[in-house]
Amino acid sequence: MPTRFLPTWAALVVVVATAIIAADPQPVVLARAPGTIRGRVELRQPSTEGGLRVAVADLGMSATHEPPDRRSVVYLDPAPRAAFDTREDVRPRMDQRDETFVPHVLPIVAGTIVDFPNNDHTYHNVFSLSKTKTFDLGRYAVGRSKSVRFDRPGIVRVFCDIHSHMSAFIIVFAHRYFSLTDTDGTYRLDNVPPGTYTVVAWNESAPLESRRVVVPDAGGEVEVNFALGRR
Amino acid sequence: MLNGISARRGLLVLFLVCSAPGAVLGQALPEGPVRLFDGKVAVSGEMIATGGNADEIAFFNYTDYEHNALRMVRFGVSGVYNPVNWLALVGEFRSEDLDPPKVYAAYVRLHPLRSHAFDIQVGRIPPAFGSFGRRLYETGNPVIGYPLAYQYLTSLRTDAVPATADDVLKMRARGWRTSFPIGSQTPGPGIPLMSGFQWDTGVEASWRTGIVELAGSVTNGTLSNPRVADDNGGKQFAGRVAVTPTIGLVLGASVARGAWLSEIVAPSSKPAQTAFGADAEYSRDHWIVRSELIWSRWNYAYDLRPSSRDSLDSLGAWIEGRYRITPRVFLGGRVDHLGFSTLEGSTIGVDGLPWDAPMKRVEGGAGYYLQRNFVIRGVVQGNWREGGRDRSRTFFSGQVVYWF
Repeated sequence: MPTRFLPTWAALVVVVATAIIAADPQPVVLARAPGTIRGRVELRQPSTEGGLRVAVADLGMSATHEPPDRRSVVYLDPAPRAAFDTREDVRPRMDQRDETFVPHVLPIVAGTIVDFPNNDHTYHNVFSLSKTKTFDLGRYAVGRSKSVRFDRPGIVRVFCDIHSHMSAFIIVFAHRYFSLTDTDGTYRLDNVPPGTYTVVAWNESAPLESRRVVVPDAGGEVEVNFALGRR
Repeated sequence: MLNGISARRGLLVLFLVCSAPGAVLGQALPEGPVRLFDGKVAVSGEMIATGGNADEIAFFNYTDYEHNALRMVRFGVSGVYNPVNWLALVGEFRSEDLDPPKVYAAYVRLHPLRSHAFDIQVGRIPPAFGSFGRRLYETGNPVIGYPLAYQYLTSLRTDAVPATADDVLKMRARGWRTSFPIGSQTPGPGIPLMSGFQWDTGVEASWRTGIVELAGSVTNGTLSNPRVADDNGGKQFAGRVAVTPTIGLVLGASVARGAWLSEIVAPSSKPAQTAFGADAEYSRDHWIVRSELIWSRWNYAYDLRPSSRDSLDSLGAWIEGRYRITPRVFLGGRVDHLGFSTLEGSTIGVDGLPWDAPMKRVEGGAGYYLQRNFVIRGVVQGNWREGGRDRSRTFFSGQVVYWF
C-alpha cells in the first residue's frame, strides 16, 4: 500500500535536512527589519508671543505679514548608531521674503551649510546670539545671499536686526533621525532600526514632550502622538 | 486722577504681567510682544535703567521734564488694539524716574484705502517732522544721550518773554532754570529746538508709494512745546518728504511752522516757531550712519532792543553711527553741535553774542547684547559750552535696556 511507504519518505527527508543543517556552520538568524515611527503633533494653544512690536512711532499701519508657520520637530534621543554613518550632502536655504524667514523652522544635521538669500524688497540683517551658533551677516541687499555652517547640535534662534518681527529657528542635530511636521502636524521617521528609543517633540511655543517607544525586530509602523502645551 | 504711587505700581505690575508668558515657556525673558484676544491686542514694554555721575551745576543732559537723560529709570508700556484691519487704537504710558506715568502716545490710526499705503492718525501722535523723534530709543539710538536739538534746554520759554536783548543774553546757558520779566515770574526750564520726550496732539496723514514717503500734520503745540491742549489758538503745520533712492539710503526734508508763545504773553499776535530739517541715513554690512540738521527760528512780536531783531535762531546738527564688531558687541558714537544766532545787547554783548551759549557734544561707547532685546551699554560723553558756570563736563554713564 502506498501509505505504508510514506513514513519512510518523511523520515528520509528529515534525516537529509538535518544532515545539511548540521553541516552548515552559520547559525539561523531571523531578519531585523527597520521600522517607521509616525504620528501627529497637536498644539493645544496658540503662541501668545511674537509678531510685530507695537509700532507707536510709525506714521501708519505696518504692512501685514503672514504669521510664521510654527511647525514642530520630532526626533529620536538618543539616535541609533547607524544614524551617524551617513551624511547627506544637502545645502538648505532660509529665504527672506516679505519680511519673513521661510521656512520658519529648519531642522538640519550638524555640519550643514545654510544659505540665507535676500529675496525681499528691502535690506535684511540676519543674526543669531544663540550659544549653539552666534553669527551676524550684516545688512545685505536684494538678490544677495550669505551662508553659515552649523557645526554644533542645538537650537539656533535667527533674527533680523532691522525687522524685529522676523524670527526663525534652525534646529541642528547630530544625527538624521528627525522630522519636521507637515502643516497638519503629522510626521514620519523612516528606517529606524529595531530598538527602544525616546521620541521627543519640540515646538517653539511649548515645552518639550517625550515618549518611550519600541521598534520591534520585525519592523513595521509605530504610532506616537503628542499634544504640546498646557491643557 | 490716578494716585501717584498706585499709578507707578500699576505700570510696574502691567510690565511684569506682560513679561510673564515668556518666562513660563522657559525663556529668561519674553522676546516679542504679548498678544491677547485672538491677536487683536498686542502689548509691548520697555525698561531702561541709566546711571552715571551727577550733573547739578551745568544741567547738560536735563530734559523738558527735568530729568537727567544720563541718570534715568524709565518704564514704558505700549499697546495696540486692532478691532478691524483698517482701524487701530494705539497708546503708550511712560514713567520717568518713577514719576506717575504719563501718556506719551494715544491716538486712533485709520487705514481707509486698502490698496494704498495712506494712513490718518488722530490724537497724541508721533511727529511728522524730522527722523530721530520717531525712532525707537532702544534700537535706534547708538548711544545713551539724546541729540542736543531734541534734548538741550535753551533759555527760551513759552510762558515768559524777554523785553530786551539784554534779558535774553542774561539767560545764556541757563536753560535748566530761566526767567524773563514778562509773563510767568516763576523760574522754570526752557525749551529745546524739538522735544524728544513728548509728542504733540492733532491729526496727521501719511502716504507711501515706491521710494517716496510723505507726511503732514496739524497740531496744538509746536516742535519745541508739544501740547495736549492748545494754549494760544494757533496751530502748527508740519510736513516731511523722504525718499529711498537706493536700498539702505534714506533722505528726508522737513518743515514746520506754528504759534509758539502762550496766550498769556502774546494775547493777540501769534508769533511763530519756524523750523526746517534735513536728515539722512545710510547703512551697509555692519554699519549704520545717520545725520540730521534742524534749524529753528522763534519769532517775537517786537524787536529785542537795542537789536533790530525780532527773532532768535538756532541750528542743531549731528552725525552718529553704530558699528557691530561681533554679533554681541557694538560701538556707537555721536558728534553734535548746537549754535545760536547773534544778538546785540546794551550792556552784554554790545558787539553781538550768540543769544544762548553754543554747545558741542561728543559721545561714544560700546554695548553688549545679553539677548536680542536685553542690552547693556556704557558711554563717555564730553560737553563743551561757550558760557555758563560750568563750561565743560565729562560724564560716564551705563545703561541696561530691556524691551519686548
